[in-house]
Amino acid sequence: MKRATIPALVVVVGVLVLADLLLVNDSLSELAGVAIDAAILVAAGAALAAVASLAVRRARDLWRRRGDPIGAALVLAGMAAVLIAGLRPGAAGASDPAVGWLVAALLIPIGATLFGLLFVTTLAASRRSLASRSREATVLVGAALVVLLMLLPIGGVVGERLSDAAGWALAVPIGAVFRGMLIGVAILAAVFAARTLLGVGATDE
Amino acid sequence: MPSPTELVADVIRFVGEILGASSLRFETGPTLVVLGVLLVFLQLVARPVSRWVTSDAGGLASLGRAMALAAEAGTDAVMSLGTAGVARSTDVHGRLQTLAALPVLGHVARAAARSGVPLRVLTNDPLAAAAAAATLDAAHAATSTQERVGRSRIVMVGEGRLAPAGLVMTARARPAAAVAAGSMREEATLHLEGLRGGAGSLAAASAEVAQAPSLLLAGGGALVGAEAFQVAADLRADVGERTMVIAANRLIGFAVAAIVIGTALALMGIIHPADLLLGIGEA
Repeated sequence: MKRATIPALVVVVGVLVLADLLLVNDSLSELAGVAIDAAILVAAGAALAAVASLAVRRARDLWRRRGDPIGAALVLAGMAAVLIAGLRPGAAGASDPAVGWLVAALLIPIGATLFGLLFVTTLAASRRSLASRSREATVLVGAALVVLLMLLPIGGVVGERLSDAAGWALAVPIGAVFRGMLIGVAILAAVFAARTLLGVGATDE
Repeated sequence: MPSPTELVADVIRFVGEILGASSLRFETGPTLVVLGVLLVFLQLVARPVSRWVTSDAGGLASLGRAMALAAEAGTDAVMSLGTAGVARSTDVHGRLQTLAALPVLGHVARAAARSGVPLRVLTNDPLAAAAAAATLDAAHAATSTQERVGRSRIVMVGEGRLAPAGLVMTARARPAAAVAAGSMREEATLHLEGLRGGAGSLAAASAEVAQAPSLLLAGGGALVGAEAFQVAADLRADVGERTMVIAANRLIGFAVAAIVIGTALALMGIIHPADLLLGIGEA
């Protein structure tokens, strides 16, 4: 019964939104608007519940000295810092300068530090993939080298032609493959989302 | 009290008034195209198991061997659900990939449960962690190994896309098998390198098209782009099922080839299908 109720709700709301897309009708627009607002409210509630669940779980870890107490303390301290900065009396919420400082001076530099490792890890992955004679990786690294050559800052006619070739490669073959993959992803994502909402799926092994 | 006839008449009148007060947003042609696309879409939705694919998606069929090695070595297996989560403030496409990773987690969890290998599930989202816990429970229930469920654990690594990447790069535990499925953006290379560094085997799935090179360079099995959503339909393709699909595909191929060759011969005037079918011209 529970499995039938949610798909039925999904079908009703889906037909409502589709009808609103195809037909111009004030009543339908209002009904579709109510459904969309309700979905946004549910998503916001789920996000709040998730944050509360994380705080409770980490506090319990810290209290019972299990798992990673240092990590739990850092998570709780971080949450407290952002909450105090954004919710203290007179604060401007998410746009408060203190919150902005926490993001700009702590989060972004820490993230940038990790991203700085991307260059090293990508080179290491390329070297290992070539060593393992992976066909896909060999093609990938070969193409990367060709593009690198085309983008070298060379002047004169040769440099101009290489630059044009790089632009053509980006716009035509790479762009075509990229768009084709994006279309495939969009179709399969829509199919998977509909299957998830309607509860349609393969039975367990 | 109105009679049922009056009630039906009122409903029909009400629907008629709504239709009378409406107009098509697009022309008739585009409206029919939208409805046609919807029809094809619903046909795809109604068939949850892949019919045509016979390949081993992402090397997931070899998980049983990896789990056997893990059981022998006394190590565990790791499954990362990516970094988008379910309730995090990121785009819908990324969060949908987390949901698409749950059937893969179920497949990995069943293989681990059968082999008695502990499974670590990494996530950075509390709701994804709850869904992963339910998936683990279901996997142990399906394999009648509920006594082993306590050995597996969900590791909630904290908020942010970079937290899981940082964790896997610094983790000391070396799992026998690692699987990463879900949205991984710029941190994909860090994430997969961290998992790859310690794991015996690696399979990765992500629908982020821009991160396809990261998956291919990571080595091991890779499910790139749409395959990350398609894999849920291919997980049940065991050896017997796959053999039947291969045989059926070959029969269909022979039939198509016969039609094409026959059509070409008929167009060239070499054979006359009607005569062949009716047996005319035979001695």
